[in-house]
Amino acid sequence: MTNEKKRKTINRLQTMYPLRALIDGMYQRSVEASKAGKPTAWCMVNWWEGDIILKAMGIDAVYPEDYGAVCAAFGAAPAYLDRSDSDGFPTHICGYARNCIGYTALMTDLGEIPPEAPMGGMPKPQLLLSSDGLCDARYKWFQALGRYLDAPVWTLEIPHPGVKESLIEGAYQHDINFIVEELREFVTFLERLLSKKMDWAKLDELIGNTIEMNRIWHEVNQLRKAKPCPMHSRDFWSSMPASLYIAADPKATANLYREMYDEVKGRIDNKVGALPIEEKYRLAFVELPPWHSLGFFNQLAERGWNFVYESWNYHPPKPIDLTKVSDPLERIARYTYQWLTGYYQGAFKAEEWWGYFAYPYLELVRDFKCDGVFLHPLLTCRTATNHLMLVQDRLMKKLKVPSLVVEGDIVDLKLFDPADALRKAETFEETMDYYKKVRKEEGFDW
Amino acid sequence: MTKVVILDRDEEIQARVVGPTGAEHRRLANKVMEEALEQANLSFAEISYVIATGYGRINVSFADRQITELTCHARGVVSLFPTVRIAIDIGGQDAKGLKISNGKLIDFVMNDRCAAGTGRFLEVIAATLGLKLEELGEISLKSTNKVKISSTCTIFAQQEVISRISEGTPLEDIVAGVHDAIASRVVKMVRRLKIEPDVVFTGGVAKNVGVVYAIKENLGCEVLVPEEPLLSGAIGAAILGKELTLKALAKGETIQRKERHLEEVTFFS
Amino acid sequence: MAKEKGSQGLTRVREIYQDRSRRVEELKAEGKKVIGYLCIYPVLEMMTALDLVPYRILGDMREPITKADFCLPNIVCPFLRSCLDLGLKGKYDFLDGVVMAHICDVGEKTAHIWHTYLNPPYFHFIDTPHTVHKAAQKQHKELLKDFKKTLELFTGKELSPGRLKEAIKAHNQQRALVRELYDLRKPDPPLISGTETLQVMVALMSIPVDEGINLLRQVISEVKKGKDGPQKKTRLLIWGSIIDDIALIKMIEGLGANLVMDDTCVGSRAYFSDVELTDDPLDGLAYRYLVELKCPRTFREAVFGETKKDYMTDLESRFSYLKDYAKEWDAKGVILQSVRYCDSHGYEVPGVKDYLDHIGLPNIYLEHDYSEAALAPLRTRVQAFLEVIG
Repeated sequence: MTNEKKRKTINRLQTMYPLRALIDGMYQRSVEASKAGKPTAWCMVNWWEGDIILKAMGIDAVYPEDYGAVCAAFGAAPAYLDRSDSDGFPTHICGYARNCIGYTALMTDLGEIPPEAPMGGMPKPQLLLSSDGLCDARYKWFQALGRYLDAPVWTLEIPHPGVKESLIEGAYQHDINFIVEELREFVTFLERLLSKKMDWAKLDELIGNTIEMNRIWHEVNQLRKAKPCPMHSRDFWSSMPASLYIAADPKATANLYREMYDEVKGRIDNKVGALPIEEKYRLAFVELPPWHSLGFFNQLAERGWNFVYESWNYHPPKPIDLTKVSDPLERIARYTYQWLTGYYQGAFKAEEWWGYFAYPYLELVRDFKCDGVFLHPLLTCRTATNHLMLVQDRLMKKLKVPSLVVEGDIVDLKLFDPADALRKAETFEETMDYYKKVRKEEGFDW
Repeated sequence: MTKVVILDRDEEIQARVVGPTGAEHRRLANKVMEEALEQANLSFAEISYVIATGYGRINVSFADRQITELTCHARGVVSLFPTVRIAIDIGGQDAKGLKISNGKLIDFVMNDRCAAGTGRFLEVIAATLGLKLEELGEISLKSTNKVKISSTCTIFAQQEVISRISEGTPLEDIVAGVHDAIASRVVKMVRRLKIEPDVVFTGGVAKNVGVVYAIKENLGCEVLVPEEPLLSGAIGAAILGKELTLKALAKGETIQRKERHLEEVTFFS
Repeated sequence: MAKEKGSQGLTRVREIYQDRSRRVEELKAEGKKVIGYLCIYPVLEMMTALDLVPYRILGDMREPITKADFCLPNIVCPFLRSCLDLGLKGKYDFLDGVVMAHICDVGEKTAHIWHTYLNPPYFHFIDTPHTVHKAAQKQHKELLKDFKKTLELFTGKELSPGRLKEAIKAHNQQRALVRELYDLRKPDPPLISGTETLQVMVALMSIPVDEGINLLRQVISEVKKGKDGPQKKTRLLIWGSIIDDIALIKMIEGLGANLVMDDTCVGSRAYFSDVELTDDPLDGLAYRYLVELKCPRTFREAVFGETKKDYMTDLESRFSYLKDYAKEWDAKGVILQSVRYCDSHGYEVPGVKDYLDHIGLPNIYLEHDYSEAALAPLRTRVQAFLEVIG
């Protein structure tokens, strides 16, 4: 340990740490829960469509997508990837899928969690809950696991209407009805799988608490419109899993988000930004962050780069009033649907036809007054990469905001070259400066 | 490399020739054939059947038939090692894995697109290190602490090697690391066939003792290497030719053959 | 009724294959409207019923992709990139409208990108569900009602049940004739090659349904005469992602095989299931175009709501039709192929292989990237496969 004071490059929120601790405990809790006989489900991220129901039924959820990032960060992924390849799966498929397939194959061979599996591994599941949200690979992957596991697969569906099509009379209603009918079947299925009945009162309470938790979390992020931005993307990414995975009791999480709100509000009142130095550039990050190299953002912070918004797909839905909706499954349906289609009205007005993933950034970059956008294409995640080119084009065409493209991958960490990215970033500053002038000339207010 | 093998009825080798191929397949096939005929003391007309195999097989104008190198290698390896189940062949341009059951090829994997798991990889590295290709094997065996080459691509691996040299890493450790890289890549591909003993290793690269060692290490089992690792394809082709001929004779059928004509082919005529 | 060209049968097929859009451009000149569609999920009958000519959007293996790179990353399905590229190059400007569906991730994205940059006079996106559950079937019908609304708005005509039933009958008729043609691939040797069959399929997808019916009748009677048919060669079935160009088929057949049957979408997947004529025709359409269409993009479990999964039972429920195809067409082996980056088929491959191994049908998996150059390395693999099963 040196005597030098560790140089602070980003003012991390104090209230982030307890949230982080909550999230970090997730894996260990799952392993213990499984040992204690609690049923385990491997879940895809399902944006609250299925997780609340699982919680109400007392099933512990484990997330192989997230585990893929964990394995990558711990350097455990290569063995699993190799096993997936040698079992005949194409090498271009999602890195998280390859990681999970290899892990599962090994676990099946051994009859137990592989000994070197990081963070205690993932216990054998009784259910594979997949979702068609944003990505087909997620249900194809769980279907393919049938080779190694006898757990049933249930695929949750979220309608992905086109912007125009979503506004056709009756479309909203039939989309919601579809989700609700399927969720009813899902509950019936779970009751059979676990031989127990749904506790509807508990479900109702959990839904209410989750919506409230996310409402506060949404408000926290709205505060980041302030100049200087009081909260950096790193704090978002650290704190977000508590919302996205409902990592702990939503009431407890809501309290922590409330405290975070107070801290962030306090910063704004005192004109304290997330950077200890002058905020030179405000950036948005699209889409999935390089979890293994988040320190890279500290290097950018030293240059005055503040990341003020990120990752549309991780954010909670735009708040929606569901107080008049009594059926809990309908509340879930409308809520998740709101997450996907919440920007559609704006997209329609702007005549932008890719209403989720892409269009939201046109609103967000404007509302959060971003000088540039950091685009991060991932070699094996097509889903999080497909929209990047259109986003780049639309942001330039409509808002005169430039984008920087830096490549990487979700499991092949060698593909992200921080040194090269830093060099690109330096040049990009000139681009951002130039477009600041252009926007001024064209009458934009940032 | 272009190889020719002439076998007699009892599958005894009467001639064996190995020559560098270069770009002019057609011309060279003739030359190498002539050399083989001289070795065997035979005229071209006395050859019962000619099978061409491998990358340039369509350029052998005097071949009676073309059969893929996968089938020919399998046949050749089976004749050399009847207990073979998995055959690994690493040549200058490609790498193959063959699954064999009851003396027959039943499945295969191939890499003919990427230099990294082939002899080419070693050529590039040898040139980078200023060494002769033939020296690499012995040097690698001296290593006690092989380097891990993380790049899967030849070009980037080359860069890695260069930076290791400048760091002062012992040469034998770098070379051993390079051998491990090629071996692990090929073994990874072959694992798709589900490895079972006996495993045989052939091809030009099998002459490199360092790669043989690395393959054994990566597989975790013994590996058999023939005395003449370059000839298994040609041997197999010749045996298949013999089998086709004898089968036809037994049935009383005439064998379809090409007109026997051995002269230098010109490209524009 | 528009006059058709003079040539007939397979000659006409080849003409259309070489110059695909010629016929619809002639029809346009006569005042007809042409609607482009991607994949087999857009409901053709609904377009035919309103006197619109459905025209399948395909790619071009020979055209280097230059314009699509600015709106779609290059690590996605090269077929879809090619389609988009051709669109951006103006090759599909003659279309009066475009219909796309939620076929797969990139297919869905392509729809929004196409809408954004090409903005045809009419555009509709059908968000086809991913499961075949009852609720999904109901949703699909509702989505088709929405499609009906925008079609009616665009054409100014009513899509009456009567008109729709007529269109269903016509398309069912065409499908039955395709199956009749496919029956002519059952003898040994087949009376028509895989290469020619593909040309027929592409031709059918480029002309109105009634012209396609006439063309099929001509082709069938010509093929039945048994002249110039293929030689006896190893009989194979081909499975996988879209093949819209004869290059791959020709290469395989040139190496000593007859592709006697296919499970691809410019092929049997588009024609081997009919629409049931229900009272409300949308019911039959919604069912057939979701449940009956076979493509890995649809998630199916062996038993709805099963609480345990048996791998072989699952594979049987998903792939046993391949066993039937192989038996009926006497296929000795299966070529599994898909374009690089196709996730729908990519994840499916190990399962299909396991199933085929289980029933003892030799198989090989080929991955290619939808370009002519990509075919060369496949030659050795295909030839070796034929030697293995030979």
